[in-house]
Amino acid sequence: MEQAGSPFLKLDRIGKRFGDLAAVSDLSLSIEEGEIFTLLGPSGCGKSTTLRMIAGLEYPDAGAVSLRGETIVDAEEGRFAPPEARNMGMVFQSYAVWPHMTVFDNIAFPLRLRRRRRSEVRDRVLETLALVGLAESAEDYPWQLSGGMQQRVALARAIVYQPDILLLDEPLSNLDAKLREQMRVELKELQRKLGTTFLFVTHDQAEAMVLSTRIAVLNRGRVEQVGTPSDVYERPATPFSRDFLGQSVLFPGRMENRGGELWIQLDLGARLRLPCDGSALRGGERVTMACRAEGIRIRPGDTAVDGEIPAVVEDVIYAGERMEYAVRAGERRLALRCFDDRRFAPGARVNLGIGGRGVTVWTDD
Amino acid sequence: MTSALPSYTAVGTRLRSFARIHGLGAVVVGAVALFTLVPVAFLIFSSFNVAAPGEPTAYGLENWRVAFDDDRILDSIWMTLRLVFARLAIAVTAGILFAWLLARTDMPGGSTLEFLFWIAFFTPALPLTVGWILLMDPENGLINTLLASLPFAAPKFDIFSFWGIVWVHLTATSIPVAVILFTPAFRQMSATLEESARMCGATALTTLRRITVPILIPAILPATAIMFIRSLEAFEIELLLGSPVGIFVYSTRIYDLIDEVPPSFGTATALGTLFLFAVLVLAVLYALCIRGRRFTTVGGQGFSTERVRLGRWRWPAFALCALYLFCSFGLGLIFLVLSSFMRRFGFFDIAEPFTLDHWREMLADPVLLSSLVNSLVLGTATALVGVVLFSLIAYVVVRSQLTGRGFVDLMAWLPWAIPGVLMGLALVWLYFATPLRTILYGTLAGLVVAMVIKELPVAVQLLKAGFLRIGHELEEAARVCGAGWPVTYWKILLPLVSPVLITVAVLSFQAAVRDIASVVFLYDNDSRPLSILMLEYSFSGELERGAAAGILLVAMIAVMAFIARRLGYRAGTTS
Repeated sequence: MEQAGSPFLKLDRIGKRFGDLAAVSDLSLSIEEGEIFTLLGPSGCGKSTTLRMIAGLEYPDAGAVSLRGETIVDAEEGRFAPPEARNMGMVFQSYAVWPHMTVFDNIAFPLRLRRRRRSEVRDRVLETLALVGLAESAEDYPWQLSGGMQQRVALARAIVYQPDILLLDEPLSNLDAKLREQMRVELKELQRKLGTTFLFVTHDQAEAMVLSTRIAVLNRGRVEQVGTPSDVYERPATPFSRDFLGQSVLFPGRMENRGGELWIQLDLGARLRLPCDGSALRGGERVTMACRAEGIRIRPGDTAVDGEIPAVVEDVIYAGERMEYAVRAGERRLALRCFDDRRFAPGARVNLGIGGRGVTVWTDD
Repeated sequence: MTSALPSYTAVGTRLRSFARIHGLGAVVVGAVALFTLVPVAFLIFSSFNVAAPGEPTAYGLENWRVAFDDDRILDSIWMTLRLVFARLAIAVTAGILFAWLLARTDMPGGSTLEFLFWIAFFTPALPLTVGWILLMDPENGLINTLLASLPFAAPKFDIFSFWGIVWVHLTATSIPVAVILFTPAFRQMSATLEESARMCGATALTTLRRITVPILIPAILPATAIMFIRSLEAFEIELLLGSPVGIFVYSTRIYDLIDEVPPSFGTATALGTLFLFAVLVLAVLYALCIRGRRFTTVGGQGFSTERVRLGRWRWPAFALCALYLFCSFGLGLIFLVLSSFMRRFGFFDIAEPFTLDHWREMLADPVLLSSLVNSLVLGTATALVGVVLFSLIAYVVVRSQLTGRGFVDLMAWLPWAIPGVLMGLALVWLYFATPLRTILYGTLAGLVVAMVIKELPVAVQLLKAGFLRIGHELEEAARVCGAGWPVTYWKILLPLVSPVLITVAVLSFQAAVRDIASVVFLYDNDSRPLSILMLEYSFSGELERGAAAGILLVAMIAVMAFIARRLGYRAGTTS
């Protein structure tokens, strides 16, 4: 069945409009079998619409989707496989557990649709319930369960019939913070056991980082970047990906070519050797250097050494696992994060050293 | 792949199943049009048809000329409006007072009284009318007999009069409707608005008059408009009380014209069409007025449900409500039951005044038994057909992407404005014009069609609300895990709206069993329902037999309401 060379799930230039609003435009993605692929972006970026087009719950206006090399949607040819013919599983944001059925019946529903034998249905349901940690609740009705347990029912219902791919639409966003972190780990564990391809939609970048094999950053219905979590965090391809993932501090400056070596003269006064790849630069361009807020070293002292920026601490926020500082450097106020044990009081003179992972340089156009 | 589902190579056949859903949409649109637009169109066309139903069509303006020349026609319209305005004025005032007492004050027994108002609302009007005839017939009505035995000359109550008709309407229909429409609005109002008036020094009644009612005008006016349009439908009370003394409203005039030998179908239809236009204009005006907003809810910051303290007026208020309810259906029903056991009602001093003869004769009477069976079949069939059809229409309106579903919504609402007599008349023309005449005219099937149309608007509204409460994702979850549209509809959607389905089925059953106006032109000897049999007995003066039939009718409706309550509780616990 599988054609050589074609990706497991392929989105080919799909588009969807709602009235005047282009929810998704010209979006192409290739998802490999067995990975956890995440669509990450702010609300309204088209990630849920994309997922729903893959599921068959929305009709794309343009483009095609194929699974295992077979076209399931082709807007130009008018081909459209309804959701029930796609053998996909889906977990909804609101769980969508049917309130008129017991937990057992909810999970048995897809198996009964497939006319499995009674004994097989029972075995599979109980096995899946045990897998998601709900073995005790088979005969309960959904309203007797907590939100987290309903979430597990929804998950069990989506995997019990071994779908080709599991689609998860912001499944953790209705859970409280502690449970959300626990479920992230459990989802990852579950995927390892099942080996099923997961396609995950979220607006939470931390969730995407922890869970994903690869991430596609979406903005205004378009793909900004596709890559592993470390790719998109450390080597953002666009200003949007850079600013959406983590907190960046921006330093405008000018490139200088000093005997074949690229240096950057920051507007704040410091000059330093380019700490990242600059193969596209020649020297002389106006640029913006971006650092991660936690990547800036803070050193106490009155005198800045080479490449450091002198600054004064203005505000201190205690955030538990880290300290957040607002410092003034020249005319600019910068927000920094510090994960070590040192503490600086307001008014302290400090020197900022640029470095760490995820420093990037962007030419100004 | 281990799945038993078709592989993607079957996409072609699946596409056809998708087309089938759209085919279903088209079928629903067609059905709604057939059930709503076609009868109305037939009525209008037929008013220009000077031939009788079933005969070759001959177009002309003769009907309209006769209708406008005939004083009786315009008189009947004038009488209709006078009766409606008289009873609406009283019913709205009383309705506001009762609704306020029930919802906003600490009157004792509030929830019991409210339940009794619901019972009054559901009790069919005809048996109550017979009850009032037994009490207030000018010759031998019980009250008048008692008054005549008084030593001084007391005035007589004559139920066969303008105010007699208004009185029966007030007890049997208008006030219960007003209370049921107004009470929710009063309940939604925040007490803080009233409390601030009381703090300024206003008494409870002044507050009601100056604050509560003005604030609730946006809710009371549309409800009054609904009552006005629905009041135009009145038929059997006027037929029984007005026709014998020459008081005709348009609906009884239409009945009268068709009852003539030979029947004046054309003139009746012209009158009906005229009235239909008037009602439709009113209905459209109403729809435009309330468009885009629901009944205004007055709430906001600091919502309080603290009730007005009536103090020493608590029990008088309770007595007033209880007295009204006793008059509205208690009195009528008591004497209905009593009369069915009396040899001759009102004559207590004859030898052996009480007898089981009426019941014995009735129960041995094949006409009664067949009418009873007909009513049961009619009610059950209307409920079953209705539930299937109404839920599909509501689903298409709420959930489909079908173009023209707004039009379906509008069409589904149309029969709401059409009085039963006019719908019956339209269906006579329609049945005679189609090859289905033998299947539909004079048969139970034809009656079921009439009742399904009549119940369609309210039922579709209820089911639309039911479907809207179900999240899209519950349906989508079923689709993604492999259920086709029919399975999703049957296994997920219908069970989730089952409480609404039960309500709709019960309402349809009750409406079909009690209805007279819509079916009065459509039945024959083999398909006569119990409600019509009761009308015939009452009309021909056999009031004791009419009373017995009426008791059976009330019993059927009560049993249905009881079953619905039981089922409702069960369904309610699982959702």
